[in-house]
Amino acid sequence: MSKPSFVYVTYIRTSPEKLWQALTDGALTHQYWAGRRVESDWTVGAPVTFWFEGKVSDSGKVLECDPPRRLSYSFHVEFVEALRSEPPSRVTFEIEKLDAQVKLTVTHDGFEPGSQVFTAISGGWPVILSSLKSLLETGRPIEFPTSACDARRAQAEA
Amino acid sequence: MAAPDVKPSFVYVTYIVAPAEKVWRALTDGDFTRQYFFGRCMQSDWKVGADWALVMEDGRVDCAGKVLECEPPRWLAISWRVEWLEEFRKLPEAIVSFDIEPMGAVVRLTVTQLTGPIDEKFLEGGRQGWPMILSGLKSLLETGKPLNIPTPSGEVPKAKG
Repeated sequence: MSKPSFVYVTYIRTSPEKLWQALTDGALTHQYWAGRRVESDWTVGAPVTFWFEGKVSDSGKVLECDPPRRLSYSFHVEFVEALRSEPPSRVTFEIEKLDAQVKLTVTHDGFEPGSQVFTAISGGWPVILSSLKSLLETGRPIEFPTSACDARRAQAEA
Repeated sequence: MAAPDVKPSFVYVTYIVAPAEKVWRALTDGDFTRQYFFGRCMQSDWKVGADWALVMEDGRVDCAGKVLECEPPRWLAISWRVEWLEEFRKLPEAIVSFDIEPMGAVVRLTVTQLTGPIDEKFLEGGRQGWPMILSGLKSLLETGKPLNIPTPSGEVPKAKG
């Protein structure tokens, strides 16, 4: 079995600086990242913490930080019991300016074959990145119906 | 549809704040597709068995195929062949499906491409093109304005509207 990796590309009408801020500022991630606030001082080696309703949902360390072009950190799920035993994976954001748009490439890799975290993030990234694009282009994140959020959460915790 | 054991060569999921009917229209109406699909105009009467074509601004056909399944505004499956480029013309047809799933005021759009066993190099165009096209579709429906992404050759596809 090969090691799974997830790649998602989206184009957003915004500047690299605004996109960088949206990815690294907890007040902004809270709006589009399923309620998560990210916290880090964004220096290489520094911890990265995702907070959800007062608890740590995910954690990692900054691996690369080259604003506003490239950001990479390790990613370990803390919140979901069934996923906590998996080793950390790696998230990388690449930002490329194309006139009035940016191309954002998100690569999430470093999974073991059969990883359950991989299955969870493969469903999660399109939700997060669609809402991020809406927030930056319209000023409003996507408001998903509560039932869908509950269903996703239940699925993630099952 | 293709045999169920065929693995998709490409899957892209995006969430769009729009009613399913509007997403359906944006995918099937040439006046919409022209704005976000590299200037291409989608043409078909959208009956099962009918032909469809993506027509370029100069009238040449880019891609074409048949309507396989059509259930507005939720599900569309079409056979797909590339007409425009000589070396693509001999390839087996792909099947492309559009799954539009309403979730309150949001829809989940899943675009899936099923392709026979062909050289990876033929899949690169779709893998690069679909995220641009579907990002533009989302922008158009949510903001009223498509994106204006320069193509790798430096040519900016004309956006109308």
